[in-house]
Amino acid sequence: MAKRYTLDELLIITVAREIHDHDRVILGVGLPTTAGAMAKALHAPHATLMMESGIIDFEPLVPPNHIADANACRGFSSATDLFSMFTMTYRGFVDVCFLGVAQIDKFGNINTTVIGDYYKPKLRLPGSGGACDFLSYAKHTILTMRGGEFVQKLDYFTSPGYLEGGDSRDKSGLFPIGSGPSMLLTTKGVFRFDPVTKELCLAQVHPGVSLDMVKKDIPWDLKVAQDLTVTPAPKDEEIDFIRRFAPTEAVGRKMMYELGMINALRKMQERAK
Amino acid sequence: MAPPASKVMQAKEAIGTFVHDGDHLVIGNYTVGTCAELVFEVIRQHKKGLTLYSQSGVFDVEVLVAGGCVDRLVSTYVYRAGGKEGGSAVERALQAGTLEMEDYTNFQYNARLVAGMHGFTYMQVLEGAMVTDLFKKRSFLGKDKYRVITCPYTGKQVLTVPAANPDVCIVHVQRSDKFGNAQYWGALGSVAAAALASKHIIVSCEEVVEHDIIQSSPHLTIIPAYRVDAVVEIPWGAHPTEVLGYYNLDRAAYANFFMADMTGDGLKNWMDEWVYASRDRQAYLDNYISKFGSQGLDAIRAKAYYSAPANYGAAYTSCWDNENRERTMGVTLAELEKIMEERGLLYG
Repeated sequence: MAKRYTLDELLIITVAREIHDHDRVILGVGLPTTAGAMAKALHAPHATLMMESGIIDFEPLVPPNHIADANACRGFSSATDLFSMFTMTYRGFVDVCFLGVAQIDKFGNINTTVIGDYYKPKLRLPGSGGACDFLSYAKHTILTMRGGEFVQKLDYFTSPGYLEGGDSRDKSGLFPIGSGPSMLLTTKGVFRFDPVTKELCLAQVHPGVSLDMVKKDIPWDLKVAQDLTVTPAPKDEEIDFIRRFAPTEAVGRKMMYELGMINALRKMQERAK
Repeated sequence: MAPPASKVMQAKEAIGTFVHDGDHLVIGNYTVGTCAELVFEVIRQHKKGLTLYSQSGVFDVEVLVAGGCVDRLVSTYVYRAGGKEGGSAVERALQAGTLEMEDYTNFQYNARLVAGMHGFTYMQVLEGAMVTDLFKKRSFLGKDKYRVITCPYTGKQVLTVPAANPDVCIVHVQRSDKFGNAQYWGALGSVAAAALASKHIIVSCEEVVEHDIIQSSPHLTIIPAYRVDAVVEIPWGAHPTEVLGYYNLDRAAYANFFMADMTGDGLKNWMDEWVYASRDRQAYLDNYISKFGSQGLDAIRAKAYYSAPANYGAAYTSCWDNENRERTMGVTLAELEKIMEERGLLYG
């Protein structure tokens, strides 16, 4: 019998499959690094994993705490600087990068800066960080959205997706031809971009999710793939890898905090004895 | 087709595969330790019509020009043997009209590669040169040798040079792994920029080392593997020039070249012996030892003076502690899986 899996494991494994052997990959903290570690260990042994802080070709052994966390690996192949990481992306040497999303519009344009008015923010979010430049110049970008929202109009335009759709991104002359977001992963499904109109198109739903459950989050008439499928279940070896490498991510943040608190209390009590 | 994991090959194959007639070829090394054997292999393969980039031409530029490989030279410094009475292959080729040369300053030359390395189309350089003949006398680059623009912030006239992205860089380093993570230390010069600006990179090294050596010293890697096309292990690959930590400049052998280079015939004889008649570096070394004995090499072999190691270690390399408990949550994998089941977190 196939092993059963958590939603977080399904999400990580689904994006890990977007990394191919020999890809050059920029990873962020959390889901992307775990996905990268799994890809490198199981199906993409020659992938070059990198972090924008200047860490090139690392094999994560524990999930990093931040994008400059060299403690998460046992050495790496090349140390460079942040400037060079971005210019190597600009020159087209990065195949895949990963970005988290707070707001996304129909054409994959991204907000990670602010909810509400920029000058009087309701929620002030991190901002661009690497996002704008990576989404501009990586060959492919995998977008992940776990707490964010689909909107008609972004509160702040942080990072360029397909602009006004169609060929507007390529026609702008600012970006490598054919670059842009290639996938959006949410807790309900996987979206791709229509090859012609470049609008978000639902490609997969996760097990137990109905089309209506997806549609209710989306303030426009959602395009759905003709061959809409259910996200394939992870393989046992993939699940085992995630649980070994990043057990706190396998169970999800809520459970990690709950068990972490219990553990911390237990340790305090032991010390008190 | 996926590239092979190991890029180790012979010089013959590397130069044959990645250097083509008419290419823009950059010598990654400058002044110190040049990629002598890769240069010799380019000559032995009779590559033609090259545009050669070299920060400071030493004997490497001389032999490439004398070998008839180079039509155009971009450099900042012409090597000249023997002062006024002497000569140089570059000078002779300029006199014969078989070579065009574009002169830059050291900084400008390096700036062209830095621009290319970062994907920029030009780079601001130091404006004093605008009053000189460097600016006024132009060769094959013509108007595109320099352009002057107005700084959008200050309104000042700013001197710029165009980016350079040579087709191939040949470069000699101390060590590399088989994947091409090339480590180089010493005078950094423009070595990294020359390599990283180029479309293809051929690395020769004194030693191919285990990947683990690289992983524990990533600050020494100047070219990451994913940019490298070929790795050629060539001990003594820079001789008669030097490689820090391996050997010094061979003053006797260098003087031998220097004397020869004063005349065209002299250099031709020198190249017949050391380049054409030596099919590879081993043959070159055999010839050297038969002529001078191995004492010459022993005398210039480096004595160790190691840099202090940098500690790349962390407190732990697994989320699981010695009792197989997860470090944050304090549970074993079996306990964690039981909790997932009980809490209804599992699908499938």
